[in-house]
Amino acid sequence: MTPINISLLLFMIGLYGVISKNNLIKKIIGLAIINASVVLFFIAIGYREGGLAPIMSRSEAVDSANQIFVNPIPQALMLTAIVVSISLTAVALALVVKIYSKYKTLDVQKLYEE
Amino acid sequence: MKNSRIIRTLAQKLLPFIFLFGFYLTFHGHLSPGGGFQGGVVIATAIILLTLSYGIKETENRFKEKHLSVLEKLAILAFIFLGLLGIFFGYPFLKNFLPLGQRGYVASAGLMIPLNFVISIKVAAGMTGIFYALVKYRGEI
Amino acid sequence: MKKYYYIVLLIIMTILIIGSISPEYGNPRNMDYINYYLEHGVQDTGAINLVASIYLDYRAYDTLIETVVLFMAVIGVTFILSKGK
Repeated sequence: MTPINISLLLFMIGLYGVISKNNLIKKIIGLAIINASVVLFFIAIGYREGGLAPIMSRSEAVDSANQIFVNPIPQALMLTAIVVSISLTAVALALVVKIYSKYKTLDVQKLYEE
Repeated sequence: MKNSRIIRTLAQKLLPFIFLFGFYLTFHGHLSPGGGFQGGVVIATAIILLTLSYGIKETENRFKEKHLSVLEKLAILAFIFLGLLGIFFGYPFLKNFLPLGQRGYVASAGLMIPLNFVISIKVAAGMTGIFYALVKYRGEI
Repeated sequence: MKKYYYIVLLIIMTILIIGSISPEYGNPRNMDYINYYLEHGVQDTGAINLVASIYLDYRAYDTLIETVVLFMAVIGVTFILSKGK
């Protein structure tokens, strides 16, 4: 059960939440779970056996030459993905606030009848 | 929660330490995990703590919305200006042209420190602007 | 009718999870780009944090567009929740 499998499990849990819940806030929570699972997937891809975090030591140490480091490239990509997740959740919540102030309900089945 | 004396006193005493921690994460971004985005979010958390304990009217008297929006736009323009500064000296756009320094010290890595600072100000002002917009909405359609 | 959707979702989930067990989990195949950043990262940029040297020196242009994405989020929220006069 590597973290790649766990990230797919989280993706399916988030997808179940988006599809089958009737409350709008629970759908947005499902979207945030999907974003978190994608971040975990990318970081789990760049793993190397017995590797440390990609931060070098302060002095010109000798063992920086044959120390195994984890891949730092997907970690730099995921900063952008986290910012995209924040902005998606913020705009979705603003839309939900406006929907509630007009229709006074958050239930999707009742909103379909409007 | 607004009229609790314990939370008001504690928030007022803790505020400079949260700012200090945010700036520590920002300025040591090239030595340990951290950087501009993480420090900016911590600084925005300080203003959110102030809003939760004192109310939105008092907090907005001290951190005005107009000042924050001007600061955010100035931060993006400062990022572009720092990139154009390299062109005036003959290097490509956004090249690390300041002296690199010694590894492991805070005063190293050239253009990364001003970039981290500018990004943290932008992220803090942006998060606080989103928070103000969500709190001040009063149900008008 | 709703139980039909859940069974399809469960079948897709088991297929994806079982199909993603790969022997390449800890040993990536192509290591050329990673070796360049690990060897020359500190001496090119002077920063110990290699992740910061990637997103602030080698690819600083993407970080500039990143801040514009956050700016668009602030514009979106402020416009949606504004008092239209």
